[in-house]
Amino acid sequence: MTTIGEVGQRTRFDVREFARTARGNHRDTLQLSEYAATPLSPDVVRMVRYLGRLESATMEHLRNLLVTATHKDARVTAFLVTWAFEKFWIADALDAVLEANGQQRFQDAPEGKVRKSRSESSDRRGPISRAVSAIRLGVPIIAVHTTTGLIDEWITRAAYLRLAAQSKSAALASTISMILDVKKRHEDFFDDESRRRLSEDPRAVKLTRKTLLSASWPIGAVDRADDDRSFFETYVFGGEAGVAARSGIETQVASLPGLDGRDGYAVARKLHP
Amino acid sequence: MAFDVDKYTATSVSVNWSDLDLESFRDHPLNETSLRTLRYMTDVEYHTVCYTRDLLTTPSHKEADMSAFMTMWNREEFWHGEALSTVLGIHGITVDFDEVKAGRMKLGWKDKLDPIKQSVLGKIAGNDFVAVHMAWGAANEWSAIQAYNRMADLEEDPVLAELLKRIAKQEARHVAFYTSQARDRLAKSKKAQVLARLALGNFWAPVGSSIMDRAEVVHVMNHLMSGPEGRKAARKIDAAISGLPGLQGLKIVEDSLDKLGIPA
Repeated sequence: MTTIGEVGQRTRFDVREFARTARGNHRDTLQLSEYAATPLSPDVVRMVRYLGRLESATMEHLRNLLVTATHKDARVTAFLVTWAFEKFWIADALDAVLEANGQQRFQDAPEGKVRKSRSESSDRRGPISRAVSAIRLGVPIIAVHTTTGLIDEWITRAAYLRLAAQSKSAALASTISMILDVKKRHEDFFDDESRRRLSEDPRAVKLTRKTLLSASWPIGAVDRADDDRSFFETYVFGGEAGVAARSGIETQVASLPGLDGRDGYAVARKLHP
Repeated sequence: MAFDVDKYTATSVSVNWSDLDLESFRDHPLNETSLRTLRYMTDVEYHTVCYTRDLLTTPSHKEADMSAFMTMWNREEFWHGEALSTVLGIHGITVDFDEVKAGRMKLGWKDKLDPIKQSVLGKIAGNDFVAVHMAWGAANEWSAIQAYNRMADLEEDPVLAELLKRIAKQEARHVAFYTSQARDRLAKSKKAQVLARLALGNFWAPVGSSIMDRAEVVHVMNHLMSGPEGRKAARKIDAAISGLPGLQGLKIVEDSLDKLGIPA
C-alpha cells in the first residue's frame, strides 16, 4: 500500500501520492497485434465489453456520491478525481482490445433492456431522491460509499481473474494483470477508509448493513442490460470456481468491522441470483 | 469548430511546475494581497469536483463525450489546486484536504439544497438545461483565464507568471469545450437561449461566490478586476459571453462588479 504517516496504529493511504502517480493511457502496452492471429471468443468479447461499460460509468457513480455528504470530504473527493481518471483509461484499454478483435467500441455497440426488479429500486434512485435522503443521513453515508466501493473492487477483481483464466489469451491476461495492478490502489483506499469509518461509528455500520441488504452488484449494474448481467453472473459466479469466488467474497464482507455472516450472505446471494 | 474530445483526453496532463524555481519565493515572497487571492483561487480549483456534481445531476452525464471531458477537466483543475497550494506552502500557508473539508462543512443548508434544486431544474428543462450549464461553464472558465492573466500582470513575478500562464493555457482548452457545446446546443433551441439568458442574467456571480465569504469575493474582485485595466478584463469576458447564440448584450461580469461595489 502507498502510505505516509501514522494515524493511531494504522498507516493511512496517501491520496496526494496516488494523484501524483496516476496511470493513464495504456495503449502502448496492450499487445494488440496478438489478437489478429488469436482472436478472442464471443463470450470473452462479451465480458470485455461489459467490464468496459462498468469501468466507464464513473460520472454516473460520482453523481450519486457527490449529492450526499461525501462531497464535503476533500480527501475522498481528491481520491475520486484520480480514481475516475484511472478508470477512464482502463475502459479505454478494454475498448482498444475490442477494436483489435474487430468489434465495436462498447459505447457504440447496442445494449439490451435493463432488468426491472423491485428489490433494486433503491439502487435505481435518481439524484433528487438520493440528495433528499442524504440530508437526513449525514456523514455516515461516506462509510457506505467507501464500503460498497471496496466490495465492488473485490467483485470486479474476481471477474477479471475469471476472464483471464477462461480466455486462454496471453495478451488479454497481461492486460488484465495491468488493470488489476491499477485497481489495487483503489481497493487499498476503500479498504483503509471503510475499516476506519466502520470501526469508529456505529451509525456508519448500521447504515452500511442496511444498504448491503438491497445493493445490487457490481456498482452500476442496474444501468446495464439484463441479459448482459445474467451472462456476467453465470460467467463469474456460476460453476465450481464461481462458488469458490462467491464464498471468498462472503468471508471478506463478513470480516469487515461491525459486519458479520449475515452481511456476507446478503452480498453473496446477489452475486448469482 | 467542433471540440475533439479524443484529442483532448489523449493530451490532458497535470500542470507541471517541477522545472520552476518556486523556492525563489523564499527570498522574494508575494505580498499579503496576492496570497489572499491565491488562497481563494486554490479553494475554487479544489472545489471543482463539486461543480461537477451539479453538472452531473442534469441529463448530460449520459453522454460519452461529456463524461470523458469532465473526467480530465476535474483532474486538471485538481492539479491547479495542488500547484497553487504548493506556492502557498512555501509562504507558510498550509492548505490541507482537511481544511478544504472544514470550509465545505460550513456551507450548511444552502449547499445541501443546491443539488436538489439543480436536479429539479434539470428534470424540467431536460437537454436545454445542459446548454445553460455549458454557457455557465464557459463564463466561469473565461473568468478564470482573465483572473490568472490579471494576477500575472499585477505581480510581475516571473516564476508566478509562468505558472499562471501554464494554468491559464489549460483553462483555454476548457473554454473551447464549453463554448463549442454551448454554441451548438443554444443554436439548436430557442428555449435553451431564453433559459441561459435568464439564468446567467439573474444568477451568475463571480466564480467562488457560492463557496467563499463575501469579504473574500470582494477582496479578489478589488484586487484583480478594479480600475480601468480590471474593467477591460471584465468587458473581455462579457464580450465573449454575449457572442454565444441568444446571449447578445449580456454584461454579467460588469453587472456583478457593480453589485459588489468594485470601482471601475
